[in-house]
Amino acid sequence: MKWPLILAGILLLAAPAAASGDHPAGVGRDQTLAARPKAKTIAELVARYDSESCIECHEEAHEQWSESAHSRSLFGTGRTALTFRTAILNGLMTWKASGVKELKDVRVEHLMGCAKCHLPQLADATDDVAREIVLDIDAWRTAYLNEDDDKADELEETLSSLNINCLVCHNRNAITHKWTDGYPRTDTVYGLSSDGDTEHEDDVFTRKEASPIMGESIFCGQCHGEGPNFELENPTQCATAYGSYLFAYIPEGGHRTCQQCHMEESGLGHNIQSYRAQEMSDKAVDMEVTTQAVVWRDVSTMRPKATVDIELTNQAGHGIPDG
Amino acid sequence: MPVPQRMGRGDRMGRGPYEKSGFLQDNSLPPLRTVKTSYDIFFPVEETEKGDRTIRTYPSDTMDIDVKLWYLPFGTKDDDAFLWREEKHTVSFDNSGS
Repeated sequence: MKWPLILAGILLLAAPAAASGDHPAGVGRDQTLAARPKAKTIAELVARYDSESCIECHEEAHEQWSESAHSRSLFGTGRTALTFRTAILNGLMTWKASGVKELKDVRVEHLMGCAKCHLPQLADATDDVAREIVLDIDAWRTAYLNEDDDKADELEETLSSLNINCLVCHNRNAITHKWTDGYPRTDTVYGLSSDGDTEHEDDVFTRKEASPIMGESIFCGQCHGEGPNFELENPTQCATAYGSYLFAYIPEGGHRTCQQCHMEESGLGHNIQSYRAQEMSDKAVDMEVTTQAVVWRDVSTMRPKATVDIELTNQAGHGIPDG
Repeated sequence: MPVPQRMGRGDRMGRGPYEKSGFLQDNSLPPLRTVKTSYDIFFPVEETEKGDRTIRTYPSDTMDIDVKLWYLPFGTKDDDAFLWREEKHTVSFDNSGS
């Protein structure tokens, strides 16, 4: 009567052995740019995702991208960089368990609430890079306030060299389902289609492949998110546009992708913009206004009034405002 | 606009992106839906007392209405406001007194 229990014991022992076989999860993970030894300086991190060689053949896309917020995702107009600083001063340094008492205590994990989207490749750098970024932002602020333009310009240039460039989208973040589609390779750029040809004219990225998600909304949803990032020790949310897309736009019968509206129909290509571009704002909201005069009678008092009826229809793929 | 909840708890709005987690309220324009709002604007009136009576006169029987859709992404209207739409209308009423 005891043998079923013995069999169960054997199965439990066998399970770990199967999981530690020749093919652990993440086949190919170590062949990615992200898996290389972590960058120790801003310069090293910039060099790892250096997209300069793309410009020669993809000049138009580069020019478009240069006008976009992606090209200055960390520095922005200065306000984005200062918000990193505010998050440290008003957030991390006030929280009892963050481990941050001053700027130099900041580590990569402390910045990922912002950097997950503003600089996802920061995950491929050491804590020294996180500190360098934070101290550079602080030094830029000081130089700006002291009207030390040369120093401010120099630091702005350094901070602006960190951005969402060609290789972040067309390599590092080009594949979301890595077990299904494989990890992004260090010799490959990923686009909408490869035209069946895998040869790519570049000394380093000698191959090209189609990314299965490059034209899908989920690609943008990696950053333009859903809500609290629960994978973080201290969840936070900034952009929630993809959540709105999934749970409000699609249920209303929407079927366009982010790329269709923001890149194709807008004609803006890699200059991906939102409401401040007229191409986007013109088509995002319809406003219908009807007015009439009515002489209102309140008991014995006649009071003329104007009635104004306004209908606003959001044609975008997410709530407005959102991010 | 969406009102982010501070740290995902309580009734306080979170302001900095590092403390936003959840929504307390959402007054944004929902996608593919029409939001209707109505406003009543009374014509300016001048009232004068004459004995026991109040005499009301209307300086103008015409009103210019300027409808503006503003987006305030940050701070106040003076900071970084964006004028999304604007329409001008004029209405008038019969001021003949009948």
